[in-house]
Amino acid sequence: MIRCIDIVKDYHVQQGVRRVLDHVNFEVQRGQKLGVLGRNGAGKSTLIKIVGGVEVATSGHIERTMTVSWPLAFSGAFQGSLTGLDNLRFICRIYGLDYPSTWRYVDDFAELGRQLGEPVKTYSSGMRARLAFALSIAIEFECYLIDEVIMVGDARFYQRCQDELFTKRSDRALIVVSHDMNFIRDVCDTAAVIHDSTFTMCGSVTDAIDFYHAL
Amino acid sequence: MGSLVNVAFLQIRVVLALIMREMHTRYGRENIGFLWVIGEPILFCAGVALMWTAMRPAHEHGLPVTAIVITGYVPLTMWRHCIMRGVKAFESNGALLFHRQVTPLDIITARVALEVLGTLMAGLIVSLAAMAIGVMEAPVDIGLVYLGLAYHVVFSYASALLVAALSEKSEVVEKSISVISYLSLPFSGTFTMVDWVPQNFQWILLLSPSVHNVEMIRGGQFGPGVHPHYNIAFDTWTTGLMLVLGLSLTLRVRRHIVVQ
Repeated sequence: MIRCIDIVKDYHVQQGVRRVLDHVNFEVQRGQKLGVLGRNGAGKSTLIKIVGGVEVATSGHIERTMTVSWPLAFSGAFQGSLTGLDNLRFICRIYGLDYPSTWRYVDDFAELGRQLGEPVKTYSSGMRARLAFALSIAIEFECYLIDEVIMVGDARFYQRCQDELFTKRSDRALIVVSHDMNFIRDVCDTAAVIHDSTFTMCGSVTDAIDFYHAL
Repeated sequence: MGSLVNVAFLQIRVVLALIMREMHTRYGRENIGFLWVIGEPILFCAGVALMWTAMRPAHEHGLPVTAIVITGYVPLTMWRHCIMRGVKAFESNGALLFHRQVTPLDIITARVALEVLGTLMAGLIVSLAAMAIGVMEAPVDIGLVYLGLAYHVVFSYASALLVAALSEKSEVVEKSISVISYLSLPFSGTFTMVDWVPQNFQWILLLSPSVHNVEMIRGGQFGPGVHPHYNIAFDTWTTGLMLVLGLSLTLRVRRHIVVQ
């Protein structure tokens, strides 16, 4: 289970302090799939980063009783000047994974071929997403934090994600940020909307989508 | 207790992984690659030692000049490299902070470990080479040399922690680090021994922990031929205070880091 208790996040901006999240409370149970909706800049990515422990909340705290992935997003997690393989080796070391078998798995899943030996900064966002996704699946987290990334992959990659994450690992929890309402409707069993720094848990996914469209 | 041991092992694993990564990003895999960790300080120490040996009289205040240079430049290089690697270390490593087990403290620890190991090995190689060609003698009291170096490693680590945390919070600190490191040269103890300075000014030099460390190293190198001024108690509490301050700032800096 993941429990967010009274999360507040303030950013220091040019005009003073901006409150991005104001006393956010929610829980995600094992296997639960939570979709988070909101306009651009509403604080969805910030929330995902706080849940993932990348950023520290201004106040409030988070209890995690399952392993949580790093936020799978467009940026972050990889060092651009290093090759895909060097990044892979680093992540294997810090998560205590066996390098050769992880390498084989990622190579097979991400289908990056020889590009894996090139610096990550030369990757397109789709290729980066494939690498990040393959690695996080190899680590077998109990909860995945997904910030839009699946949507940048091609059809074949999308199908792989479907098979590996939503079918084979349907017992895993997910927190997904997306603007793709069909995706949210297909994948999530609960949904919430962030608006005006307030987090509102909705009764059903359909309610959340209606609320989002009414904004 | 068991979980504490696990956490310790995890952090050691993370620091080792960061050291490997740092070597790859900085030196790549081409030509001698990571050997530059040692090569860089060797070039610096050997270059300065050669220049001073050639330009200066063979003895300074009755001490052989090559040994003075090596015992001064190794600690100086260690400290300068450590603080330079501390500046904006978190911003340039922001991508790594995406992984929860990587902490700001690990990043600095890995960077300092790499610099310290590099300069120590470079110092060892340059000293052995200088001894082999007969311009330097073996240390009289190797224990005191080690003690001075050990204090200096902690001092460099503490300085790097302070610089890393403060440069993240303040642009003024970030921009002024290179000036500060230049202006502090007289307080490094590299160029003078306390005994060479008039007695009523000695206390000024002795405010700097670095001076105490270099005095210890030179005391060990030259033995009864010199009169080193150092105070272990003063060195311990000033360095200790810096370390505690540096650690507490670094452990709290995460709030101020905006990860891309």
